[in-house]
Amino acid sequence: MLAYLLLLVPTPPLAGFVLLALDPYRLDRRAVRAAALVAGCAPLVVMAPMALAHLTKFWGDQIAPIFTLHVGNYEVALAVGLDTLSAVTALTVTFVSACVLIYALDYMSGARNADLRRFFALMNLFQAGMLSMVLAADSITFFLGWELMGLCSFFLISYNMTSPRAFAAGQKAFVITRIADAALLAGLLLLFLEAGSVRLAELIPAGAALDTARGPLIAALLLVGAMGKSAQFPFHTWLPTAMAGPTPVSALLHSATMVAAGAVLLARFAPVLAANDSVAAATAVAGVVTALFGAASAVAQTDVKRLLAYSSISQIGYMLVAVGVGVPAVAMAHFVVHALFKSLLFMASGVLAHAGAGGTSIAALRGTARRAPISFAAFAAGAASLAGLPLVTAGWWSKEAILASAFEAGWLGLGVWAVGLTAAALTAVYAFRPVFTALRAPETETPRGRESWLAVGPLVVLAVLALAGGLGVKPLTELLGGHPPHPALWVELAGAAAALLGIAGSAAVTFLPALAGRVARARRLRAGLQMDARYYALLVRPYRRFVRRLSGGRGEWVTRVVAPGRGTEGVERELEGAVRHARQPEGATSDPVGQATVVLGLWVWRALLLPFSPDRMDMAWMQGARGIGRAAERARRLQTGRVRDYALALALGLAALLLIGWGMTWR
Amino acid sequence: MALIAQLLLPFFGGFAALLAARTGRDRERWVAIAAMAATLAALAAGVALGDDGRWLAFYRADWAPSFGIQVLLAMDGLTAAMLAISSGLGIISVFISWHVTHRSALFHAAICWTVAAANGVFLSFDLLIFAFFWELMIVPAFLLIALWGHGDREAAAIKFLVFNAVAGLGLLAAVFWMGATSDPVTFDAFALAETEYSETAQILLLLGFALAFMVKLPVPPFHAWLPDAHTQAPTAGSILLAGLLLKTGAYGLFRFPPMLFPDALMALAGWGMALGAFGVVYGGILACGQTDAKRLVAYTSVAHMSIVLMGVCGGVHFALIGAGVEMIAHAFSSSALFLLIGALQHRTGTRDLRELGGLQKTAPAFATSFALFFAAALAMPGTANFLGEALVITGMFQVNWVFAAIALVSLVVSVVYATRLIGGIAFGAPKPAVENAPDLHRYELWPIAILGLCALVFGLFPQLLIGWLWTAVEAALQPLIVVQP
Amino acid sequence: MTGVSVLLAIAAGLFAAGLFGVLARRTILMQLISLEIMLAGPALAFVAAGAHHGMVEGTAMFLIVLALAAAEVALGLAIYLQLRRDAGDGDADAARRLRG
Repeated sequence: MLAYLLLLVPTPPLAGFVLLALDPYRLDRRAVRAAALVAGCAPLVVMAPMALAHLTKFWGDQIAPIFTLHVGNYEVALAVGLDTLSAVTALTVTFVSACVLIYALDYMSGARNADLRRFFALMNLFQAGMLSMVLAADSITFFLGWELMGLCSFFLISYNMTSPRAFAAGQKAFVITRIADAALLAGLLLLFLEAGSVRLAELIPAGAALDTARGPLIAALLLVGAMGKSAQFPFHTWLPTAMAGPTPVSALLHSATMVAAGAVLLARFAPVLAANDSVAAATAVAGVVTALFGAASAVAQTDVKRLLAYSSISQIGYMLVAVGVGVPAVAMAHFVVHALFKSLLFMASGVLAHAGAGGTSIAALRGTARRAPISFAAFAAGAASLAGLPLVTAGWWSKEAILASAFEAGWLGLGVWAVGLTAAALTAVYAFRPVFTALRAPETETPRGRESWLAVGPLVVLAVLALAGGLGVKPLTELLGGHPPHPALWVELAGAAAALLGIAGSAAVTFLPALAGRVARARRLRAGLQMDARYYALLVRPYRRFVRRLSGGRGEWVTRVVAPGRGTEGVERELEGAVRHARQPEGATSDPVGQATVVLGLWVWRALLLPFSPDRMDMAWMQGARGIGRAAERARRLQTGRVRDYALALALGLAALLLIGWGMTWR
Repeated sequence: MALIAQLLLPFFGGFAALLAARTGRDRERWVAIAAMAATLAALAAGVALGDDGRWLAFYRADWAPSFGIQVLLAMDGLTAAMLAISSGLGIISVFISWHVTHRSALFHAAICWTVAAANGVFLSFDLLIFAFFWELMIVPAFLLIALWGHGDREAAAIKFLVFNAVAGLGLLAAVFWMGATSDPVTFDAFALAETEYSETAQILLLLGFALAFMVKLPVPPFHAWLPDAHTQAPTAGSILLAGLLLKTGAYGLFRFPPMLFPDALMALAGWGMALGAFGVVYGGILACGQTDAKRLVAYTSVAHMSIVLMGVCGGVHFALIGAGVEMIAHAFSSSALFLLIGALQHRTGTRDLRELGGLQKTAPAFATSFALFFAAALAMPGTANFLGEALVITGMFQVNWVFAAIALVSLVVSVVYATRLIGGIAFGAPKPAVENAPDLHRYELWPIAILGLCALVFGLFPQLLIGWLWTAVEAALQPLIVVQP
Repeated sequence: MTGVSVLLAIAAGLFAAGLFGVLARRTILMQLISLEIMLAGPALAFVAAGAHHGMVEGTAMFLIVLALAAAEVALGLAIYLQLRRDAGDGDADAARRLRG
């Protein structure tokens, strides 16, 4: 029975969403913030004891059925459940989102009340979606949460409604993730058909046991779904532009939780992947390529939020590597650590940007170390964790575990390890660029800014965890059923060296004008290899042209096929009206297939009509009618009006009658 | 009795509304509402007192015995759902047309008659009576478009009339053929279902039926009347078109071809699914190209109803139940969207997405409602629309994965047109047309709320809908399963 | 040629002369006179035939013809007066408003 408490985890944010979105009580600002806070933090309060009880083995795996759907012979049994994976991810998500919401109370304080409501309503809905996804014990609830996140992501990225850029970014994110979601849905449905159940507990073993061609197909579809949501190369283009959303959104959705959901998905379905070597290898390769690509692009960024976005892409690449080489537990450990330090980095960068010269460019951060020292310290801690500063940061422990696992995973793993190591060095380079820039003296001296405790509180907590959390990586991995790798000492040293080398490189890039200039000129790299432009040219523009050609044509061909009005009249003139309407209905868009039917109808009509359009029978009738008229014209001349003429006629008639009568009596 | 009431109450309600208009202001509105509310009540009573077997209620009486024509009405879960939608949308149409004053009596009578004729289509199992109601339905809808429409309304109304009347001929010809060849002469669908036809005859008859249904549905290339009719129709007309008339096509497709011509349906199923798949993508792509909000939603209707065609032709449990769910879900979501756009047009005088925008700032409740049905239109899980599409796609995976893949493409395209719609209406700085637009008022808010609740409740608790439709799905599948190898 | 035949021939002559008068004269008065002459023809024929057959009906028919002639003259004179008043003279051909 206690398992039903799980339902209480996504419920408060959902209630918060309903309350804030429908606004039945005309809430004022205070009430809105209070409602958002309560709804946002309640999941943590409910989840923390349950997760701890489970992680300490005090409470076993739980499952709380919601309802069961009967479709023919199939049962669709919806449920939420608690196992180690969901306990860890749910705890992380509730914790990070509580931190971000507290931070957002301060960050969003300048917004209008209506916007505030919208913002928190969507944040709460997002929380509900994410939580129902991580707690789902069946694929339908899982997909429900997954899609809700996508929806909220769209609305939150385009939160700034008056900005066309923000809307375009939201639309792009939504479309790209939806492409991947369609693949995921296909994978889940196929899995459902194979297993005959939606319960993950039956679905995943059934998927892993498949030995037909459908096995790799399903695994590949799941991989595509994860890559889309996690903005992995080549789906990554939506994430950097998604930074058009407010900073708390970036901190929660586009770094810590939602984009990492792909990794959660793969960790969840790891047995299916593991059963298909080729797909597992593809996962590792895709992950490491993305890790390198993201890190290299991040180095060239001039905007701190975009830098962090590329960093998220790269870090989730590492998680994919871990899943690909068969250690999902390590991937999830990195998921937890990454959620902590990445949300920290985003939130701290938000405070620093406010304290700085304005704007989120890295150059504008100059001098902020002095103006907002606490936030700067927190940012530095996060950056250190991201860069993987050896031993003292959580990031080092988790990333090192991934690299070491890759190293132990055969010849392909060796290659992955080498590339991953390069990416790790690059990570340190970009992670410390904002830190070093912030340390530089500002161009204009300004007094120390105010740092609200609402904003700083979460930062401090997260900073402590981002550093000290390293102690938890090993136990966490073991809890999740993985075995922490034990690599050779030189492998670990190589990892440490890469980080340190990277930090040195970062200092060089920041302080040496020649190198800094080169980074500033790396425009191609900054634009993420211009994948955006390529997609635009390859997909978006042709699609738009296609749509325009299909729907925007003038439809001259309609006239050509059915040419009306060649010296015709009557019915033909009506036909002309119909043709005009078929060519260009009101609303001025054409529709070739729909028009084709109309044109065909008109053509047949015309073909039937024209041979008969001078209707011969009708003409004969009309001729007859005209003849009667003429005859009448003649007949009227008989009527002279003269009495004498009539009398003559009478007499002649009488004479004729008499003659006839005489003839009748003739014998 | 409850079944007869479904036909007579709205029919005579229409005449009562005509007469009541002379007695005082707004009387005709209340009479129309009362008639349809009574219809709903009768339906509720009929369902509550319904039998457990194949049919909830059944009624048979002779009409013209020498020609074998009967009044043969039957109701199962699917029918009951359609009847509830029909009367419910009728009431909603009256409420959101409070601003209509021009020939208001006839307007409300036409709404009542549309409901009555659609109810006749949903209930009749005597094919001749079915065909009669099928044709009858066109008349009040034609009046609604031609008399109270916007812009080029005569042309749109005539287009609607020609398409549907010509397509109805196919149905009529098939029905006459079946009646004439039966011995003794009967139009009883259950009796005719037992008749053995030659394969060619089955296919020809099916094509006759399918022509009528596919034009009403509508599936490309028979959809050309829909965008024009929707854009030119008054709001109530759009709601009834989307929520009711299109559904009669889907209902007919669901009910009769599997029952009467299972062999032919299975023989042509591949073509049907292909046409449906084409319609899904084509409707979606054209929806992306529209600047007129109502045209956009009209094209999404084409896409969604094509999914119903795919589902019916799928011939497996998932596909058929998905088709049933989709057509009910679409009745809620698209009529709500038409309602919202109609209300917006009434306020701003335009439906052009380029002239709209910024509604979120000036009318937040409006924008929130749009967002809800935006989610439904792009088949967000949790709405009934997702349920329908996911079930059809599952069925397609069982039948032919190519069609499943095409249906999945529609998920992506739906995001493009849905974001276009909401982006054009709710986002951006308030345009001049929108600046002084008042928010939703009471008479608009509660229909929206009811439609939204329906979309969400059936999406979140699908068993309600699936259990309700199941007997109909089983009945439709039974002959198909026999046919399938 | 017996007596009756002579009388019938005279009657026919009277009728023909009257008819000629009706057709040839334009003055209404003269036409009325001619009509009277025409009526006299059959009247004579009735009387002759009655006498020939020894039946009284012939004479009776003569009386009826006489009454008919009186009525006709009454009508005819009324028309004549009307025409005189309208057209100024008694020209029957001038009164042709019924021409087609």
